[in-house]
Amino acid sequence: MSDVFPKWTNRLPRNLVVAAVLIGTGVTAAVTYYFTPKYTRVGYEPIQPVAFPHSVHVGQLGLDCRYCHNTEEKSWYANIPATSTCMNCHVQVLKDDPRLALVRQSAATGEPIPWVQIHKLPDYAYFNHSVHVNRGVSCVECHGQINEMDEVYHAKPLSMSFCLDCHRDPAMRLRPLAEITHLDWKPESAAWQKSEGKKIIHDWHVQSLENCSTCHR
Amino acid sequence: MKNPSTSEPAGPAYWRSLDELAETPQFRQWVEREFPSGAGEMFDPVTRRHFVKIMSASFLLAGLGATGCRRPVENIYPFAKMPENYAHGVPQFFATAMPSRRGALPLVVKSSDGRPTKVEGNPDHPDSNGGTDPFAQASVLSLYDPDRAQRYALNGSPGSKAAALDALTALAGTFGNGEGVAFLMEQSSSPSRARMQQLLRQKHPNARWFVYEPVDMDAARHAASLAYATSVTPYYNLEKAEKILALDCDFIGTEENAAIHIRRFAQGRHVAGKDDPMSRLYAVESLFTLTGLNADHRLRVAPSLMTAVVARMALNILPSGDWDAKLKELSAPAQAFDGWIVSCANDLKAGGGKSLVMGGHRLPVAAHLLVLAMNEALGAVADHTLEFHQVPEATEEDIGELAKALNAVKITTLVILGGNPAYNAAADLNWPLAQAKAKTVVRLGYYEDETSWNPQSHAGTQWDLPAAHYLESWGDALTANGTYVPVQPLIEPLFDGITELEVLAILAGAEKTKPYEIVRDTFRVGGGTGENEWRKFLHDGYLEGSAAEPASVEFKGKLMGPVLDLLKPARGGPDAKNLDVVFHRDAKMDDGRHNNNGWLQELPDPITKLTWDNAILVSPKTAHELKLAPDEAKRDQTQRFYDQVVEIKLGDRTVRGAIWVQPGMADDTLGLALGYGRERTGRIGRNSGYNAYRVRTGDALHYASNAQLTLTGTTYQLSTTQSHWSMEGRAPVREANLADFRKTPDFAPKMDLEKPPSVAPMYPNPFDTAKSKGLHQWGMAIDLNKCVGCSACMVACQSENNVPIVGKEMVGKSREMHWIRIDRYYSGLGKNILEATADPQAMAQPMLCQHCEAAPCENVCPVNATSHDEEGLNVMVYNRCVGTRYCSNNCPYKVRRFNFFDYNRRPLDQLYRSPIDPTNWRDGKWELARWWENPDRGSLPEDEWRLVRLVKNPDVSVRMRGVMEKCTFCLQRLEQAKIAAKVKARDSDRIRLSEKEGTIPRTACQQACPAEAIAFGDVSDPDSTVNKWKGNPRNYTVLDVLHTKPRVTYLAKVRNPNPDMPDYKKHAAPYSYDQYSEIMGRPALEAEEPAGKGAR
Repeated sequence: MSDVFPKWTNRLPRNLVVAAVLIGTGVTAAVTYYFTPKYTRVGYEPIQPVAFPHSVHVGQLGLDCRYCHNTEEKSWYANIPATSTCMNCHVQVLKDDPRLALVRQSAATGEPIPWVQIHKLPDYAYFNHSVHVNRGVSCVECHGQINEMDEVYHAKPLSMSFCLDCHRDPAMRLRPLAEITHLDWKPESAAWQKSEGKKIIHDWHVQSLENCSTCHR
Repeated sequence: MKNPSTSEPAGPAYWRSLDELAETPQFRQWVEREFPSGAGEMFDPVTRRHFVKIMSASFLLAGLGATGCRRPVENIYPFAKMPENYAHGVPQFFATAMPSRRGALPLVVKSSDGRPTKVEGNPDHPDSNGGTDPFAQASVLSLYDPDRAQRYALNGSPGSKAAALDALTALAGTFGNGEGVAFLMEQSSSPSRARMQQLLRQKHPNARWFVYEPVDMDAARHAASLAYATSVTPYYNLEKAEKILALDCDFIGTEENAAIHIRRFAQGRHVAGKDDPMSRLYAVESLFTLTGLNADHRLRVAPSLMTAVVARMALNILPSGDWDAKLKELSAPAQAFDGWIVSCANDLKAGGGKSLVMGGHRLPVAAHLLVLAMNEALGAVADHTLEFHQVPEATEEDIGELAKALNAVKITTLVILGGNPAYNAAADLNWPLAQAKAKTVVRLGYYEDETSWNPQSHAGTQWDLPAAHYLESWGDALTANGTYVPVQPLIEPLFDGITELEVLAILAGAEKTKPYEIVRDTFRVGGGTGENEWRKFLHDGYLEGSAAEPASVEFKGKLMGPVLDLLKPARGGPDAKNLDVVFHRDAKMDDGRHNNNGWLQELPDPITKLTWDNAILVSPKTAHELKLAPDEAKRDQTQRFYDQVVEIKLGDRTVRGAIWVQPGMADDTLGLALGYGRERTGRIGRNSGYNAYRVRTGDALHYASNAQLTLTGTTYQLSTTQSHWSMEGRAPVREANLADFRKTPDFAPKMDLEKPPSVAPMYPNPFDTAKSKGLHQWGMAIDLNKCVGCSACMVACQSENNVPIVGKEMVGKSREMHWIRIDRYYSGLGKNILEATADPQAMAQPMLCQHCEAAPCENVCPVNATSHDEEGLNVMVYNRCVGTRYCSNNCPYKVRRFNFFDYNRRPLDQLYRSPIDPTNWRDGKWELARWWENPDRGSLPEDEWRLVRLVKNPDVSVRMRGVMEKCTFCLQRLEQAKIAAKVKARDSDRIRLSEKEGTIPRTACQQACPAEAIAFGDVSDPDSTVNKWKGNPRNYTVLDVLHTKPRVTYLAKVRNPNPDMPDYKKHAAPYSYDQYSEIMGRPALEAEEPAGKGAR
């Protein structure tokens, strides 16, 4: 029979099984890593039409988030500021800077600046900014350290499991309302956060909502 | 349907279609299938095999292209200059009003990021509770109608707006003293229009003015003005009336101001406890209308005998006097109805000033005079059950005069503002020819329709101007009680349309031609000069204290004589060879003006439940005699009937339409609904129904007699929702007579079926524990005693929840998508079908997702796409649903709806067509290529893509093909309210919504309901209204026997029949009692056997 089947075929079944296991593991691992928002979304950093360094405006100058994103406390939508908001300062500051040509042009013509969207949820998920920032969830929790970014990038996966992590256990991510837009704020310690978070949950009646209807309508 | 035969035994007690009553095998088959056969199949040229082939090819291509891996760049365009007080995503609300014929409906309209998306009533208005009618709810869809008039056209060729307005100015210069100039307008209550008209009259005194409505509701007003010798209009305080007699007056359905009437009528039917008083409604009518459905006693009378019945009623009510002889003569043909009439008259007379007689718009003016005389005699006027309001005198001539003048070539310039006379003017006027005789025609219209430029008939010049929608216009109006309201725009005219005011102002050469300025100036006269008053007016949506005072009037009975003398006694009733005809305003199309509105086309008629068509209504007996039953041999795969098409001959005019057998119609009478069969209309209205105006002549606008009917031998398919989702006679609707209710207030829960022995379930219901975490527990109660079946809730729900229309073929396959439907149950017994259907009673029941605590749908979902939240909502997660339809199969209430096609991405005129149909090549592109290029747009044509989606509510997901959906209790409103409470609470714990604080939102159906028949709220709050309603003894659960524990419960209906009436025996006990006893083997009410049982 050795004429028909060479010797190495004796190891074939074993090799096949090993290969199948290895490939299976590899594919599973690859899919788990590459096919999730952690990989497909995090790090997305498109070039914006105007280079707007949050690091300068927020980090160095200390502008409050709500100066520009003024509807975040009222609406589900946290707005991108109008050109007129930029021009409040830039009529004086850097008023002839070539980097701001598009802004000045927009202010003059009324044509909007085509900012590139970074954070995007599917249409069937109804996220509401106002209810989060008014109830102890800071911008940082979903957007990352925006105050340190030169060009904004997608810092957190914003996947359903990401939302649920917090919805299931809000205690570790709640902070006093005064600190919501202080992106550098850190709790004194993990233990402090835990006890303070529990207190907030109790005092404010923060619900841990996992109903489908909370986000999907 | 079986031919009604005289030897059959009686059918079941409550039935929803003749089919069900007849218990045909086809009906059994229909009921036993989850969806009727054909609902699950595609009958397209494309087969399943073909579909799979093409789809595999597409997937292969998709893989090769691999374009799906890159995230497409999407831009955010913020404002360049931020508008003040605007936050994207926060809806704004503006008060406005929707003008109607002689009034307006005060509204509050929601604007989502600059586009109007939802219409609500204005609850602050003194004559409104925030309820609306279906027309107002659907009007927002007409705003985004891609078929509306979009261009300024001279003789059919488009020109610019500037050129058109210049031409108007030039035209005005040629008017001189107005000789040869005619204005044809619709009715209106606008003070600004009256002012502009006055301006024009001063400038061109010889110009002639005409006002025309195809369905004119002014008869009562004319009669009142005659009888009181001053210009007044009646106003009914229905809530005060204890006994109401409606003489061919469908005040709940198709009369003017139905929403107001419903509100007031429902107040009189409010029965909280057993000692509460309740009004009694008598209806005399030829058709089966909503008023007849709600009546305690109903008399069906052929139209040619209607005046005789009015006269007979008058004879019995009026004190004897000068007219006795005339009345006797007039009423002789109605002698046969004496039993009914005399008892009814006696009951009314016993009611003191709390009895009210109402006459409908179809009655002649002389009959209305009798109605007024009866009200005077009953003391209704003295007691203010009937009031009169001063109104400006109508000085315009009617369209008949205009046609005469046109034919005599006396009119050179004709200005038509609104309306569509070429379609709906009386047939004997030959309007298109008359119109063509004017040298110059200026026409302002919302659609390019029959009245627009027509090259075949017109020789002169015609300007067609696009009219602005009322949501795009400045204007004003007076509501039914005379309150002054603004019409305020929410959006710039989408197609640069103009308003009637603007055209009049330009023609008048007025200094100010902007409608805003015109309205502002009018307000200065009546409302005050200050800016603050104006702003308050716009904010509130009405001028406080501007309601009309009841006029003190004196009845001039003597004036009636000459008018009465004009009436000729009827020669006798109709027979099968000389049929009577009623032309009636359609419950959905009105006079045809809403013909291109998809929501209204697909709304089932409240009585016939027909969609997308009108039909020729006949009584079962007439159908039997004339052999008009649908062709039994011919049925399609979906068990749909092929209805007989008949030709109606009236004088020398004919029209063809499909027959619909309507229980409860007067015999030998044909009901022809107006508003269908349009020749020039949009994609929606095309090919719907037949045009009844073709046989409607000036001397018989409402009733006609001597019609002949011939079978054409052809058939036509009507789409009805009538026998879908049958409930198999398990007493889903329950009712009692007032006397029984007083004896046994809890009659409804007593009719629960015996529960099967309760076994502890193997798995506990997870909701029982989850419930404790919920902050609120949502529930609803619906009072069937208040619900009149008007269907405003259905359109409101459609508008709020982005419910698509599916088209006529799809409705025929039971694929309609309405989340809330109105089930209409007939009940009547007789020896045979003919007797049982001759004069039945009917009931309406809104049916929506019952939000069962133990929901059968949830157990069977393989992907957990439908589940419960902690607050008791049965929620549906669209993005999880894979479309097995098991849930719908397992739902005992049949309230789940499945998206068989991508209705939101399909062209309006091709809702039922496969996207991969290889023959589908339009505008130089294959259908499939379109979907590939832009999946969001699908195969929508450019104009539909740009316009129709603007009507969508941004707070609700738009569902795609293959997804199940159903009522959510307006989840988006609940969530928004909860979020608002939390935002307000900030670092406090006051996040619970409560009725006391007014933070509980209203569902769309509840808000739209003019009868306030729906209570919604937190059942865990002991003080909530819904809890109080659920504590009412009439409260019961539909299909209680299934232990589904619904959160929606119903309050059973109570009727208030008069024991002295001859038909009391028939109505002595509701038929459901019999049915109940039959199933349970014991009487329905333990107290005693229902009276009068033996008589049946």
